[in-house]
This record gives sequence, structure tokens and C-alpha cells, in this order.
Amino acid sequence: MSSTYAACAEHVQHLHAAVRQLEVQSRLLQLAPLAGREWFELLERKLLPQLTDDAFLVVAVVGGTNIGKSVIFNHLAGCRASATSPFASGTKHPVCLVPPDFDQRHDLDSIFRGFELHQWSDANTALEDHPEHRLFWRTSEATPSNLLILDTPDIDGDVRVNWERADNIRRCADVLVAVLTQQKYNDAAVKQFFRKAAEEDKAVLVVFNQVLLPDDEEYWPIWLRTFCQETGVCPEFVYLAPADRRAAEENRLPFYVGQVGQVENLLQEKRKLKDDISSLRFHEIKLRTLRGSLHSVLHPETGVPAYLSEIERRGAEFQKVSDLVLTQKISKDDDWPPVPNLVIVQEVRLWWQQQREGLTKTVHDGFNAISRGLLGVYSLVRDRVAGKPTPPLDLFREREWQMIYNKVESVYERLCEFAELRNPLLQPRIEEMLSGISRSRLLELLKAEHNRIDFAQVIRDLVTAEMEAFRKDSPQVFQYMKWIDHGAAAVRPVTTFCLFITGAGPAGEMVNQVAANAMFYAAAELAGGTVAATVGESAISGAASTGAGLFEAHFRRLHIRFTAERTHWLHRMLAEHLYRAIPDELQAATVVPQSAAFQKVRDTIVVLESEVLASPGDTQNSEANHG
Amino acid sequence: MGDSELAQIELFAEIDELLRRVREFVGTESAWEPLGHCRAILRRLLGRVETLRIRLEAPLVVATFGGTGVGKSSLVNALVGRESSRTGRQRPTTTLPVLIAHPDTNLDGLGLPLNEFEVARIDSPILRDIVVVDCPDPDTSEGETSGSNLTRLRKMLPHCDVLLFVSTQQKYRSARVGDELQQAAEGCRLLFVQTHADQDSDIREDWRRQLADKYAVPEVFFVDSLSALQDQQVGRRPSGDFARLQDLLTSRIAASQRIQVRRANLLDLIHAALLHCREHVTGNLPAIDRLEVALGEQSQKLHDAMTQRLREELVASQSLWERRLLTAVTERWGASPFSSILRVYSGLGNLLASASLWRARSSVQMALIGVVQGTRWLSSKQQEREAESNLQRVASSLGLEDDLLRESQFVLNGFLRDAKLTQLSSGTKTVQELRQEAARVESQFLGDAGQRIDGIVEEVAKQRSGPLIRAWYEVLLFSFVGFVLYRIVKSFFWDSLESPDKILPTHFYVNAGVIFVIWASLLVMLFTRRLRRGLQKQVDQLAAGLARQRIQQGLFPAWEEACRDIRAECQMLEGLAASAHLVRERIALPTQFGAAR
Repeated sequence: MSSTYAACAEHVQHLHAAVRQLEVQSRLLQLAPLAGREWFELLERKLLPQLTDDAFLVVAVVGGTNIGKSVIFNHLAGCRASATSPFASGTKHPVCLVPPDFDQRHDLDSIFRGFELHQWSDANTALEDHPEHRLFWRTSEATPSNLLILDTPDIDGDVRVNWERADNIRRCADVLVAVLTQQKYNDAAVKQFFRKAAEEDKAVLVVFNQVLLPDDEEYWPIWLRTFCQETGVCPEFVYLAPADRRAAEENRLPFYVGQVGQVENLLQEKRKLKDDISSLRFHEIKLRTLRGSLHSVLHPETGVPAYLSEIERRGAEFQKVSDLVLTQKISKDDDWPPVPNLVIVQEVRLWWQQQREGLTKTVHDGFNAISRGLLGVYSLVRDRVAGKPTPPLDLFREREWQMIYNKVESVYERLCEFAELRNPLLQPRIEEMLSGISRSRLLELLKAEHNRIDFAQVIRDLVTAEMEAFRKDSPQVFQYMKWIDHGAAAVRPVTTFCLFITGAGPAGEMVNQVAANAMFYAAAELAGGTVAATVGESAISGAASTGAGLFEAHFRRLHIRFTAERTHWLHRMLAEHLYRAIPDELQAATVVPQSAAFQKVRDTIVVLESEVLASPGDTQNSEANHG
Repeated sequence: MGDSELAQIELFAEIDELLRRVREFVGTESAWEPLGHCRAILRRLLGRVETLRIRLEAPLVVATFGGTGVGKSSLVNALVGRESSRTGRQRPTTTLPVLIAHPDTNLDGLGLPLNEFEVARIDSPILRDIVVVDCPDPDTSEGETSGSNLTRLRKMLPHCDVLLFVSTQQKYRSARVGDELQQAAEGCRLLFVQTHADQDSDIREDWRRQLADKYAVPEVFFVDSLSALQDQQVGRRPSGDFARLQDLLTSRIAASQRIQVRRANLLDLIHAALLHCREHVTGNLPAIDRLEVALGEQSQKLHDAMTQRLREELVASQSLWERRLLTAVTERWGASPFSSILRVYSGLGNLLASASLWRARSSVQMALIGVVQGTRWLSSKQQEREAESNLQRVASSLGLEDDLLRESQFVLNGFLRDAKLTQLSSGTKTVQELRQEAARVESQFLGDAGQRIDGIVEEVAKQRSGPLIRAWYEVLLFSFVGFVLYRIVKSFFWDSLESPDKILPTHFYVNAGVIFVIWASLLVMLFTRRLRRGLQKQVDQLAAGLARQRIQQGLFPAWEEACRDIRAECQMLEGLAASAHLVRERIALPTQFGAAR
């Protein structure tokens, strides 16, 4: 078997490491921590430290509060190793008897993981109250080699930390000396404790303490039957210890062997509990309990496989949530307010002016100065009469803010709907997002960011990029335009004055400016379109196969690009200030079931199952134990 | 009627009053979830209180309570002196609760679910005034499944008046039993008994220490039920703790004590429930605080926007100011030459304004026109006003843009959600409704502003139209009139005598008239300039004054109202808890019994 131990030990170590790694990776899945899961505790406390070739047995005296665990323990120890008291929940920390030289061969710390080990000095030290888990140990000559005998705290008292300590000892134990009384053999807390022990295939010795002999002779088989039925425990031996307070105090309590159906024998066979324990077949029991623990660890419903499927399930849930959140981000943006053509045209003009050279430039610049002068007078009069108009970009900013606000509102509507679904994974964060403080903070942030944007610069960059592309993509058209521009320079005086005087001026100051620009009116078709666009601020209409049409296509693309950029900005802002890390975390969480650690755990499970648990002799054994 | 009896009656009246108030509290509805939760609790409580009150005079129900195997049934048998509840060495022994009563006791008045009991009728002196129930244990069932002992026990507990908490050396620190007792003890008197005195050590000292945190423990009895029963069966009187326990249950819980016990239980119940409610509500109140702060902030924001806008408009409306001031001054001065001139000027202005400019384009101008003239103007234009959707116009005129309103609502919805007032947030308003609310807020705001403007006008008019100033202007005006009169009189009486040619020609009068108009205009101009001086400062002061003032009702009066209601209801709950505490303090507790603290 020793070779099996070694092989198994290696696999178990791999499993432990992989599971630990998986825990770190699946942090985002918000699962309960590994510590505290029965199978994980078994892995850490039982399998890891005890899969060594030098086998030893851990024998623990366990049971409810104030039923004489310490008395039984002292009988095993042969001396008053553990203090006894009439008051309940006396023993607060486990006491361990260690055979001589055992601590040289073994690392007690790793055997009793999670306990602070102290040398035993006094029987009363285990009664003291300490928040940390302590374990007092002493070397005892009387303890058979390779046997660790423990006294444990209670499993049903009002000091709950005692339960935890008892559970931890139970996990690493091989043999449990179950102390029961007629009052407690059917208590819920006791039953729950031993049910777990049975699942882990511990060897159990039942001691009925404080039995009233001979009155209880007819009852104890009933007690035993009930206990075994309720917990699934199959005791190796059953003892009866009479209710004899003096004998208990003097450490000379007789233990009668209880054999079902042989009641008459009962009182004759008085045995030493310790001898029976020493006579237990170590290796068999060791193998059995290790296998039982491994079974528990690998149990498809309560062991590692269950943990894996939990991760998968959670991953799938996160996938669903992630999809939902991601679709949240995508919303239609067709109704985004259009940037005023006026501004774009202005920028295009500026760009065009930079393209002029030589005489054309001089002529145009000169007349532009004149038209600016005329326009100045006109604006002055108009401002007086009708009040100063809002600059188009300010108007646009206002409109865009309205749009942004609408979007935010609809995002919140969807978040509210989402909150109604009460998805436990995201609920706290969604509630936080929906809170008043986060709402007002988001609006403030968005507003501040929005006010900071220099739209003129954004449009300028876009126009420059688009116009450069236009020049590069269709050099002929560009050249053609330039020719028109040259020609227009010749008739500039006429256009500048005429258009202003014939009332184009009052139609809007841009008309004049646009009109003063050869490129837009020389190609008559285009001029009409642009004037319409400028005055009505509608999209340019009428596609044409001419150069002007091509130019117009660029113009339209400009609009689309601009809107795309603005919606992108909003999405970025929402991601930054509203969703923050959620989408990324969701994404990261969904891929945990595909991670290497996950696969490693799964592989190790398969190996452990096939190599260690599947040998034929053992299956029988485990079946027998589980039956 | 003795004093003590009177005191009793008074106490009863107080309890009745307390219950009436609780009932009243439960009767109202609240949109707030935590309060609704409290009401649900109190409603259940009232049901239980009612059954308690009905059987106030019925025999007390004394029930055993404790882990399996601690000897509950043995104790019951010993107490009644007869084998009446089955005892045993198998766990659990008792599954169906056993009710033991005197043959003469009428059980119908107790409100007990009798079909769930095993009923035993025993003629025992201890059963004269009480009914004993032997309950199943709370610690063999691992969960509350139907038919389990725990389920049966829990169903029983609300009917019990006194719990005999029975335990042993092995079980007195059992966690399950302790947890269960904590729930069961509410509204019950407690008696503590350690059994198995024949076998076990006396652990009462440690037990008492353990209980002291949560319960008042006057005495713990240490009994040996088996020998006590044997004693009685052979006709011996039991002794020691058991005898005292039996005596307590037999003679000390007399008819008069029943009421005391039940009343104490009832008050305990009410008190515990009210405390629980108060705790629940207080834990949730900070969210309401935050909501109120947010509501305040939002209405402040609106207020600031309106103040700013008002300020701008007031500064811009110079001519309206002027007319108001002039009207005020002329009203002060009454009839006099200069004031008539001013009146003519102002009347002319009004005529012009009503013809064209004075269409009171905004509500601020409306306020500036003043209440009196405004109403006059309003009545004449009523129909016209109604025709246009005035509210909308008003709302936009004071800078309460739709955006601002919607954003306010958006943020406040979040706070409502935090405060668990979602019921209210479903009443979210449309933009149209928001505008109406805004208009209401605004008219309220303008009402204030209008009064202040009136005040300013009055004050300015008073300051700048003192008698000295008036005298000055009158003299200046009169000097011209005097001069012209002097010329006319002189020419008519004196010069015409000298030579008829010297009489003043007609164009003199025309010239005099023209110069008079110019002179009068000059004076009026000077005067109005004087009136207008420093108006900017006054407007600033007005705006500052308005900014300090708070709007009485914000955009969301329903939500503000809800907050106030919640506060009032919390106060009410607080008051109820305080009164329950007071009455509970005053009540004379039966000292032999323990109870939950």
C-alpha cells in the first residue's frame, strides 16, 4: 500500500495546488471561499498531512457537552490528562496524547493544521478561553506507538467555536470514540456531526456513558439502533460505562462490551477500551479513512466535482449577465443631433483658403475682407434689432447635452429593469449605480466633461482629415474645383456686392460668406445645395455624379464621422464613470471554466478516481462502508 | 374601592390606551417599506394580543420546555402527583403535547388547538388554577419539517403563559435549546428547573451565569422528579425545591396572579415588538435623511436658477421700474403741479406701453408691474392669457428649462430608490407635468419676489421724494410758470395802459407753451434719473434676499410630503415604544417568575 500512498500523495498535492489556484482565479465569480467547505478541509487536514508511509492513527474522543468526554479520555490516557468539571463546555481546546518520539518523526503542526500547538503543562490549560484554536499535546509513555489520542471540545454547546475545533479534529481523525448518553444520542447536533463522520468512513467506537445498569440494559440496543439509522455509523465496538460518579473521578470506570443480542454476556465482559483501540488494524483503518476522505473529496455532489460544476454554473450565469450588460452598451444613435452645417462649411472654407495660392489667394482674401466689413455692419444692425443670436456651436452643445441626457436616462431605465430581475451577482453594484448619489455624480461628471469639449477643434480636425482624404482620393475633382475657384476670383467683385444687396445678406450672414466663396456658388448645383443646407440646416440633398456630388459625399461622411465620434465619446464616458470595471470583470469571470487550473483540477480528479479508488478490492470495501 | 384596585384599573386603562394607539398606527398606510414591515409585525401582534385579552381570566397555561431526556414529562407527573404523561428512556419520548387539566376546567376559553393535544383530566390540587402542558423537545429535529417535534413545539408556544424551562447537567448549555428559548420566552413568564438531582451535580450557579445576560432569573429549582412522585404516591409530602415549586404553582398563581402574569406577558410582547420595529425603522432612516437633503438641494438649485434669471430681467427692465416708481411717487404726493406733470408723463408712458411694449412679455415683468396694476391688467387680458398656455411660458421665462427639471427628477428617483420609496417613484412625472409643477413653484416664487419688489418701490419712492426734494421741483416748475404769469399780468395791466401795441402777441403764448413742455420734460427727466439711481444695487440686494429664502414647496411636493409623513410616523412609533416601556416599568411584576430581559 505504501507505494499507493506515495502516488496518491503526489496527486493529492497537485489537486490541492490546482484548486488553490482555481480559487484565486475564480475570485470574480463571488463563490464561497474554499476554507469551510467540507471536502477542502478534508483535503487540507486529512489527506495532505496523512498520506505518508509512516502511518499513524488519530483517535479522538468526541461527543456533546458535559457527557464525560474528558472522563473517557482520561481512562484512555491512564491518568488525569484532561481536566473534568461538573460544568458544561469545559474543554475548549483539544488535548492530544503523543507516543514517545512521535514528534521527532512527524510534524505535528502539519497534522493539526490551523491549531496553535502548545506543550501540555497542566490539565486545566485546555479549559481556558482563547480566541485562537489551540491544541495541547504531551508525550505519554502509555500511548501505543503510532497512535494519537485526543480529547475534543463539545459539538452542541452554546460556545460555537468549540464546534469548529471539534469539526477540525474530526476531519483529521481516523478513529472516533463517540461518547453518547441516553439524553443525547438522538440530538440533532450529535446526529449531524456523526453523519459527516460516517460519510468520511471513520472507524467509530461507541461508548454509552452514564448508563443506569441494569435498568438500561433493554434500552441501549434501541439507542444504538436509532443512532446508527440516523447517522449511518457502523461502530466497530460498543461499550457501556455505568453512571458511577466516584469510579469516573477515580479513573476506574468499567467498560462493558455491548453486543447486540447477547445481553446476558454484557456484564461479564469488562474490557479495557485502550487495549481494543490498540488492537485495531492500523493499516486497514488508515487506508479506509483516507479512502473515505478521498471519496468525500471526490464526491460528485459534495466534493471537488461539485465545486467545478458550481464554477461552471456561475461562469454561465456571468456569461448571461455579461451579454445583458454588453447589449446595454449598444444603443441606437440615429437621432443624434446633427452638427450645424454652418460650422462645417466655415471650416471647409478655412481649409480651402489655405489651399489657395498666388493671385487667386490675393483676390479672394481681399474681397473676403470687404465682405467681412459689410457683414460687420449688417450684424451690428441685426444684433440691435433682434438681439444677439446664440452661436451655433453653443446651440449644438445644448442639443447634444439633451441627447446625452436622454441616453443616460434610457440606460438607467434599462438598469432599473435589470435590477427588477434581482440577479444576485450584480444586484449590489446595480443598486449602487441606481442610487441618487451616483446619479447626481454621473450627471455632474458628464456635464463637466461635455462642457470641456472644444467642438470647433473636433470639427476642424475632422474636416482637415476628410478634406485631405478628398484631395488625395480624387485629385481631378480637386483640381477641377480649383479651376472654378480661379475663375470665380475674376468675377468676385460682382458676386460679393450683388449677393449682399439682393437680400442674400438678411437670409443669414453665412449666405454672404458662402456666396463670397467661389467654390460653392460657381458650381451652381452645389451652391443651391449649400445655401439650402446653410439656411435650413438640413442635410445636403441631391446626389450627383459630378465633382460637386463627390464633394457632397465627403460632406455627408463628415457628418456621420462626427456623430460616430460623439457617440463613441458618450460610450467611453459611460464605461468610465458608470459601468467602470464591470464589463471587464464579467468577461474575466466567464472564462474561468476554460482556464488551465480548471482543466488541471478536472484531470487530477479523473486520475485519482481511476488510480486510487477503482481497484476492485477497495470498491467492495467502500461499498460495504457506504452501505 | 381601595387604592390598589384603583391603581389596577388605571393601569388597565393605560394598556388599553396603548393598544388603541398601536391599532391606530397599524390602521394607517405608508408608502415606506420599513414602516409597512413594522405594520405587518404589529398587525400580527395585535392578533395575538387579542387572544391573550380574551382569556385574561382563564387559567394560566404552564408548559414545560427543554431538551429531550431532561425529564419534562417526569416533572409534570411529579407536579400533578400522578403518572399522566408518558416518560421513557428512549429519545424522544413525548411527541404529541400532553395537556393536563382539572376535570372542572373549561378548556374552550383558552383558545388552544385542542385537537393537537393529548388531553388528560386529573383531579389534582395544583390544577385548580392552571393548565399544564407537556411539550415536545426542540432538539431532536434537525429542521422544522411538518410533523417534527420542533414544528409541534413552535405551534404550541404562543399559547403558553408560563414556561417551565427544564434542564440537566448535560443539557443546560445546549445551543439549540438556548436559541429556541430566546424566541419562546418573548411574552412568557419563566421558571427554571434543574432535574435529575439524584444523579447530577448542582450546576445552577453556572447555569444562572449563562442565563443572566438574556433573562431575569429569580430562582432555579433543583429537583428530583422521580422521588417526588414516589413520595406523593405513598402519601408523603415532597420536600425541598420541589415542594416550593409545587407550592408556587399551586397556591401562588391564584386567580389574581393570572391577570398580572398575562398582563406582564402582553406588555412584554408589545414592548418587544415595538422595540424591534423601532430598530428596523431607525436603521433605515438615514436613507430618508439623504432623500430630504437631496430634495432640498434640488429645490435650492431651482431657486438659484430663478433668482439669477429674475435678477437679469429686473436689471434689463429699466422702463418698467421707472413707471412703477413714478406711480408710487405721484400717489404719495397727491395733487400738486409737479406731480400732475409726473402723472401725465407716466400716463403717457402707460399708454405707449399698453399699445406696444408693455405686453408683459415675461412673468418677471408681470411682477414688476406690480400686484395692483398687474391684477387690473390681468383681468382685462384674462381670456387672452388663458388662450395661450401660460404655464409653459412662465416656466421657460425663469430659466427652469426642461433639462433642469428632468435632471432633478432623475437624480431624485435614485434617492427614492435608496430610501425604499419606490412606490412613490412610480409616480414619475412627464415633462408636461413637470412644467406645471415648475410653474406652480415659480408663481409662488414670484409672489414672494413681487412683494419684495413692491417693498423696494415703496422704499425708493419714499426716500427720493422727501418734502425738500418735492419743494425744490415744485419751486423750479413754479418759477417758470410764475415768470410767464408775471409777464402776462404785467403786459395786460401795465404795458397795455401805456400802449395797446405793447400787449403780448399770440406767439408769446405758443413759445411759452413750448418752453414749458421742454422745461417740464427736463425736470421730469432729472427726477426720474434721480429715482432710478442705485437701482442696480437694490436689485442685487433683492436677489441676495431671495437667495437666502427657501421655497416652501419644491418641484416634488408629494415626495416632500412623504418624507414629512415618514418622520411623523417614526415619531409616533418612538412614542409608542416609550409609553410601552413606561407602562412596563410601572407594572407590578410577579417576582417569583423569570422573564426575558
